[in-house]
Amino acid sequence: MLTSPEQGATPAEIRKKSGESITIRWSDGHVSTFGARFLRGRCPCAQCVSETTGVRLVSEEHIAPDVTLEAARTVGNYALHFTFSDGHTTGIFTFDYLRRVCPCEVCG
Amino acid sequence: MSEAAITESRVLDALRSVMDPDLGRDIVSLNFIRNMKIDGATVSFDVNLTTPACPVKDRLREQSRQAVLSGVPGVSDVRVNMTAEVRRPAAPETSRIRGVKNIIAVGSGKGGVGKSTVASNIAVSLARSGAKVGLLDADIYGPSIPIMMRSSGEPEVRDQIIQPVEAHGVKLMSMGYLSGEMPLIWRGPMAHKALQQSLLGVNWGELDYLVVDLPPGTGDVHLTLVQSVPVTGAVIVSTPQDVGLQISMKTLRMFQQTKVPILGIVENMSTYICPHCGARDDIFGHGGAARAAESLGIPFLGEIPLDAAIRKNSDTGTPVILAEPGSPAAAALSEITGKLAQQISIQAFRSIPLTIIEE
Repeated sequence: MLTSPEQGATPAEIRKKSGESITIRWSDGHVSTFGARFLRGRCPCAQCVSETTGVRLVSEEHIAPDVTLEAARTVGNYALHFTFSDGHTTGIFTFDYLRRVCPCEVCG
Repeated sequence: MSEAAITESRVLDALRSVMDPDLGRDIVSLNFIRNMKIDGATVSFDVNLTTPACPVKDRLREQSRQAVLSGVPGVSDVRVNMTAEVRRPAAPETSRIRGVKNIIAVGSGKGGVGKSTVASNIAVSLARSGAKVGLLDADIYGPSIPIMMRSSGEPEVRDQIIQPVEAHGVKLMSMGYLSGEMPLIWRGPMAHKALQQSLLGVNWGELDYLVVDLPPGTGDVHLTLVQSVPVTGAVIVSTPQDVGLQISMKTLRMFQQTKVPILGIVENMSTYICPHCGARDDIFGHGGAARAAESLGIPFLGEIPLDAAIRKNSDTGTPVILAEPGSPAAAALSEITGKLAQQISIQAFRSIPLTIIEE
């Protein structure tokens, strides 16, 4: 009997390419690469998405093109946390969310 | 010279027929066989399991003995020594509590289902099997573990690190210690801070299992736990009745959303057996948790009967598993602990390391 929560996305490997991007190879073999600016513009935190209306307040066009990922770390078993070069640190990017916003040609 | 034919590789070949039923692989490829010695016609070795609380320990010992006796000609005596070493799941070193191999969360949908009773008995039962165990009472609203474990006194603080209290062979920390007699009237951020201190600011030492007794429901404490440390898995305690179960499902989904594996469901207050006439009465219904577990494809760990021995011994501070080991409740709890230990081993075996590779 399988005990892992098989629903949703599970990463098999996570790579950070300097400050530029994060690449996740998922357990089903799919590969997603997220650029720093792409991620900053899709931050799910309450400052970037209105808590009451769900409307996105900060999106990619508000972000400087040269923004970088200063640091990345895992949150428990289920998410990634990034420190962006513009000082923004409040987003928790769950693996389910990241899989959903995958910008590759097939998904995007 | 039949003795000369007995070699380590022939013994190992014979042992390849013995399977670990949980991990689904043979005990040789799992690297369980240690310290093999061949002395004439006598072969001795250790079988190093993944938990001292393994319920199939005796069966594996006998199977190993038989496999060598019948599979290697010339062997007249086989001495099998069962040992255990709890493996830690793969997780980034940085986000762990140092020295703690597995963190087991015990949760429930609503209060009053016996979550703390289950948590304290599981902790004591694991410790009795020989494992090193800690118990963190994270129920900020009603910390009851210190009463159930009869730990008097408060933990000492040395060099700004809390020294846990020890009771019934278990290292103990309660968020109740942080407030003394006062009720905890905390907003989210305070609960967050207090849990982090109780997890990371405690000198746990080396632990095979840290059992965390959560508050009921899904709140700040739960989120802090799953965000601060990699939790090996969660146990859900529920009563058999539909209402209790439906609320438990929310707690279950919270763990699934935060990628905490569900180790299983326990049905508490499962049935009542009248001590006078022996008649059975399913006061809260019966079997609801087992059905829910089956439909969700998660393990059902067992059911605990309503038993006055549980209440009496919880109130006087000795978990029923120690106070009345022969009672039906103690038997149920000890079986549940064995099944849980199996699930933890399976989880540790399956987990893949979640680290960020920097290029």
